[in-house]
Amino acid sequence: MHDEVRLVMPADPEFLRLARVTAMGLASRLSFTIDEIDDLRIAIDELVFGLIGSRGRSGTVALQYSLREKGLEVAGTAAFDDVDSGSPGMSELSQLILDAVTDEHSIETNGDGTPSFRFVKRRSDT
Amino acid sequence: MAFDAERRKELREMFVAFAETRSPRLRDELIEAHIGLAEYLARRFNNRGEPLDDLVQVASVGLIKAVDRFEPERGLEFSTYATHTIVGELKRHFRDKGWAVRVPRRMQELHLRLGQIVATLNQDLGRSPTVAEIAVEAGVSDEEILEAMEAGQAYRFTSLDAPSPGDDGGSLSTNLGSDDDSMIDVEHRATLSPLLAQLPARQQRILHLRFFEGLTQSEIASRLDISQMHVSRLLARSLAQLRASAEE
Repeated sequence: MHDEVRLVMPADPEFLRLARVTAMGLASRLSFTIDEIDDLRIAIDELVFGLIGSRGRSGTVALQYSLREKGLEVAGTAAFDDVDSGSPGMSELSQLILDAVTDEHSIETNGDGTPSFRFVKRRSDT
Repeated sequence: MAFDAERRKELREMFVAFAETRSPRLRDELIEAHIGLAEYLARRFNNRGEPLDDLVQVASVGLIKAVDRFEPERGLEFSTYATHTIVGELKRHFRDKGWAVRVPRRMQELHLRLGQIVATLNQDLGRSPTVAEIAVEAGVSDEEILEAMEAGQAYRFTSLDAPSPGDDGGSLSTNLGSDDDSMIDVEHRATLSPLLAQLPARQQRILHLRFFEGLTQSEIASRLDISQMHVSRLLARSLAQLRASAEE
């Protein structure tokens, strides 16, 4: 299985709910448990807030959800209107949170200066 | 709240005069004359977890902004303009406080039911249930379950000065310094984040169990003898609070 869902939303925390609900809907198709779905939700919040800050930015965040056989991969890229995007920051605490709720995660600044992230959450075999 | 024609005319003239003179006396009178509108709108946001007095205060701030910004020459009724401003102020208040303004009651009720259903399934299955399993048990669709789960996560970034809602009591500030060394070991707290220490003890403990010890939400729920949904809510709230205080 290799299905993909894309969501482009304003870089505003108001819209984070859409990003979470999309992830939750897809995870539920993959028979994630609700513990795992909550982890996904925490990961999305942590990473998107990491990109846009809790007050948001002027611009968009594009999210790409890829359904894998045993899990979900989510990649996000921000495009801000202002030139000085700044590099995404991830505190030690964020790092720790992401270690706990995802199987893989990374956040980086692309060649063109846009920040992006990627994480993978696998379903446990029950 | 309605004024008779004569009073309306009088108020309109006062607005015109205020627009020219910016007289503090006129400003006070105009605010005073419309305070009933602020109170009326505040009451419409009552029963959403915020004390009415606070809401009236917030609505009054909206009213003052409306009086200061109103431009009578544009021909709009002041009450229309002010309603918009005041409601905007109230909504922002709820947003900043982290409370959902529009979680439908049906969803709130389903969310409350979920706590018990998830706990029962957890026990029966010996693991955390899937959304499909919960939906069958609750007799609703998968989507409704997801929506109800999300309804409990309505917390946004709460400032440290905001009351911490729910059962931990007291505002975050009053909990500052109420460290409990048995909750989080000193080493982690020192190297990681002094922010953690600002959270109520139970929230610290849940964060510790989830992120330092790697327990799942269900495992934490059974260890603390609360529901998984409650753990989920407290985690979401804690992270929102940490995020808010990190940015202050």
